[in-house]
Order: sequence, then C-alpha cells, then structure tokens
Amino acid sequence: MSPLDDLFRRVPALLMARRNLSRNRIRTSLAVLGIIIGVLAIASLGMFGTTLRAGATQQLGDIGNEISISPNLQEGVEELTDRDVDQIRRAVTDGSVVPVRSETLRVGRGDRQTVATVYGMENPGAIYEAEDGRVPDRLRKDALVGSGTATLLDVEPGNTISVDGRTYRVSAVLAQQQGLSLVNPNNAVVVPLDDVNGTGYSQVVVNAESGQAANESAVAIRESLNDREERVSVFELQTITSGINQFFGILNTFLIGIGSISLVVAGVSILNVMLMSTIERRQEIGVLRAVGVQRGDVVRMILAEAGLLGVTGGLIGAVLAVGAGVVLNAVVLNDPLSTFQAANFVYIFLAVVFGVGTSVLSGLYPAWKAANERPVEALRK
Amino acid sequence: MSNIIELRDVWKRYDTGGEVVEALKDVHFHAEPGEFVSVMGPSGSGKSTMLNVLGLLDTPSEGTVLLDGQDVTDLSDREMTTQRKRFIGFIFQSFHLIPTLSALENVEVPTLFGDDPTARDRATELLERVGLGDRLDHRPDQLSGGQKQRVAIARALINEPQILLADEPTGNLDQETGRSVLDLFDEIRREDDVAVIAVTHDPQLSNYTDRTVELIDGRIQ
Repeated sequence: MSPLDDLFRRVPALLMARRNLSRNRIRTSLAVLGIIIGVLAIASLGMFGTTLRAGATQQLGDIGNEISISPNLQEGVEELTDRDVDQIRRAVTDGSVVPVRSETLRVGRGDRQTVATVYGMENPGAIYEAEDGRVPDRLRKDALVGSGTATLLDVEPGNTISVDGRTYRVSAVLAQQQGLSLVNPNNAVVVPLDDVNGTGYSQVVVNAESGQAANESAVAIRESLNDREERVSVFELQTITSGINQFFGILNTFLIGIGSISLVVAGVSILNVMLMSTIERRQEIGVLRAVGVQRGDVVRMILAEAGLLGVTGGLIGAVLAVGAGVVLNAVVLNDPLSTFQAANFVYIFLAVVFGVGTSVLSGLYPAWKAANERPVEALRK
Repeated sequence: MSNIIELRDVWKRYDTGGEVVEALKDVHFHAEPGEFVSVMGPSGSGKSTMLNVLGLLDTPSEGTVLLDGQDVTDLSDREMTTQRKRFIGFIFQSFHLIPTLSALENVEVPTLFGDDPTARDRATELLERVGLGDRLDHRPDQLSGGQKQRVAIARALINEPQILLADEPTGNLDQETGRSVLDLFDEIRREDDVAVIAVTHDPQLSNYTDRTVELIDGRIQ
C-alpha cells in the first residue's frame, strides 16, 4: 500500500475530498489558481519590500556607526573646546574620536582654482579611506584631497596643491563616499588641524565599532557634556537608519495588505465553488447521512476539500514566489541568492498559512450548510 | 417472535404554508426478523414518509417508533445516525452511488468514518456474494443498472443490519434484472434473518413477500 493510500485510509475525509475535487477539474483548477495568485501576491510583495530595504541599505552604507557632536549655537556655544573633546574621549569607550575644524578656502593647483571646504583633522584615517595613495595615522604636514576636488583640479598623490596660499604635498586621494556622511570628503580637502584658523572645533565625529556602540557613546556624551546646560547637540545617523527601516516596515505592511486583498477574493471564489459543489452533491450527502455518516464527518470532508485547495494553491504559489524573488533580486540587487534569506521565508510561510486559512474559512459555511440539511430533504427527488 | 421494528399510533403532519397535510394517520406497523414486507399504494399515499420514519430519517409528529424493542422516537440527530448505522440498510430507487468512488469504495462508505479494519474484506465478500467479484474497481458509470443496484445492496449490508429498507428497489430496472434483485433480497432475509421492507408499485414483488401492507391516503388499509 502506498503512503498516500495509507493516509487516505487513516483520514477518510481526505480520500473523499480528493475524489470530489477530481470531479470537476476545471472548476477545481480555477479555485486553486485564485489561491496561487493570492499567495504569490503576498509572498512576492513581501519579498519585494525586503529587496527594496536591502537596496536602500546598500546605498546608505555603514552610516549607523557614526555620531557627530556640534556646539549648541542656541545656548551661545560657538565652538567645542579641548576640554569638551577630552570629555568626549572619556565618554567613548569603543571607537575613535575625530575633532574637526572647518573653513571654506581657496584651493588651487597651477592655474586651476576652486573654492572648497577645508577640514582640519589630526587623525582623518579613523573615518576616511584612500582611493589612491595612503592616509597617514597622524596628519602632520600633507593634505588629503576628496575625489570630487581631485577630479576638478586634476590632482593625484605626490602632486602639490595650494590652500589659502600655503603649499601641501598630496599624500592621498580619498575614496568617494557613497552613502550619507557627516563630514563628506568628496568635494573637500583635509589638512593638519593646526593649519585651520581657530582654537576650538566646529564638530567632533565619533566612529564607533557598531551601531549599538555608537548609540551607547551618544548617550554617554549627552550625560557627560549636557549635564548642567545643553552645551552640545549630538546627531546620530542611526536615527536616520532606524527611520528608514521603519518606513520600509510600513511600506511592507502596505504591500502585503494589497496582496491580502487578492487572497480574500480567492477566498470568496472558494466559497462559491464549495457552495456550488455541495449543492450539486446534495443527494449524495443525504445518502452519506442516511447510511450512518455523522454530521461532523460531513463537515470534516468538506473542510478537507477546502483545505486541499488551499494547500495545493499555497504550495504552488510558494514555489512561484521563490522564482519571482530570484528574478527580482537578480534585477534590483544583482544578487539572486539574496532571495534565500530568513525574512523572505517568513513571508512565504505567512502567505501559505494565510492561503490555507482563507480556504478552510471559506469552506466553513458550505460545510455547515451541507451537514445541517436533513437527509430526508436532501434525498427527495 | 419479537418485532425488530414497530410503529405505534404514528402520525406525521406537514405544515405547508398554513395548510396542514397529514401524510401518516394513526399508522401501526411492525416487522419481524427475516420477514419480507412490501408497502404498496398510489403515489402521495405516504409510503415514502413511512419509510423515512422507519429509517430514522424523519421523526413522527405523534406516536412511537420502537427499534429492537427500544423507543427511538426522540433521539438526537447523533444518536439516530448511530442507530441507523447499526440497524438499518437503505436501498434507493436511483441507487445513489457516489460516482467518484469504485464499487468497492462505495460499499465501504458507511464504514469509512470510523475505525473498521475488516471493512475492506467484508466489502469484497459482499460484492462477490452479489455477483460482482470481478467489478470491484469499476466506477458506477461503468456498471449497468442491475449491477449498480447490487452494489447498493452490498453497501446496505456492510454493517450487518437487521432491517433493509428499500424504496422502489426495482423501479429503475427491467423485469428480469428486477427479479434477480428480488431473488437476492429473498436470499438475504433467509440467510441473514434480515427484515426487508420495500416500498413499491411493482406487482411482481408480491410473489416474494410474506405480506403486503396497503397504504392509501396515509392510512393502512
């Protein structure tokens, strides 16, 4: 005896359901198609959301790890002092602290001239990487040039540039920063700290090991510097990333909501199919009741039919959804394999559960109706 | 011998939109094990209603139904279904086989919901007994009218009932096939001591029955 026969012997409702569904194959296929579309819609819209989020995160980069501390101008604090920087250094346990002084100055090489933001930094290596050349641990006399400025002035490492009349050797051209950044180097020049006028700092950037460390540092800095007065404002890029995540969460729910509507429509079509088929089989169900089949068994039989429709449609829909996800991720992210991640399987699983649930729910009324008809009425010709 | 089924003072009234129709009027009826009783009468005389009351498919408006000496008039739907399954086999004029199931599966239907490991063997034996041993896997549409009615008889016998209720069992069969079905009834009631109660128009039934009850206008004559 095959495993399927064995299952049918154990759950006779399934055998009857299977046979009843094979009676009108076109009608059954159409009902299944409804569920397939519903499940496919929910699962693939859910995966679409995941892909969008992944795409956006890719664009943003690792910005969640940085925080920026700037003087609170509203409280009359014009710049951050060395004492502030010391306090920040003490508050940050896990990460590097980069005090920044900035000015807008004339930058030139030969007869090419431009006006650029000039950052004074001691340790730019903590937040920047070189595209060409080398970023020194301590910046003492050389300059680093952002990629935009480098293109503009046609600069490469080893060249000499002038910044506000002073001459610097360029030790590196900085890698172009893709995502958001607090101190964007692309159209700037970085020089040693002491070469930029002033005694204080316009901002301090902290680059932590992780988003969580950045958050902890921000809390510690606020506690330590803003104890008596609101001396500094602390800006976390993480608030942006979490905002973006939240947005995509809402977007996803919305997309899945749209998908669910199609499943509800599928549910109505199953209700219709089951109702029609139970009305057609009125006499048969009457015979079943006459020969001693209980009401509950009739309900089980019809629910099994609805459930079979749901399971079949759900499984086919899930397979198609995986296919759709692979295509989507190949096109949007260039990475078809990113379909196979936990979040997507959650959507597929949910879609299948919704599909089966909708089907069974739609079978309830026809089942109840068929089981409660008096056999005498059903058998009357 | 004691009665396997008995109707006492049974009335059945239908309320059809303000007008009350009396389908059964003070009906007394009984059948003993192994007895073959036919119920005859013109259409609309209440034969089918009587059969439904006997088969616990319908409850009388008044009076008592005794099954194997027990009052079964006021049982719940669930209990009635259980009693039907235990005591009664049904045979219908238009066979009422399930078209998607094989002959063997059709015979098994009454045992399907419930743990019954010997059902398949019994069904096979019954089909062999009614002469369809070589048609086990045929679907109803592959069987002739007489063969369908034999499958229906096998289905009625699967739970070893003590009463066989037949509604125009020969109504859809030609005379010769009808006769062979009646021979089968005769054999069943003799060998298994089953009471056979058949509602019919068919006059050839009286050649087989122990007695004939005539029902006219809801009353037994």
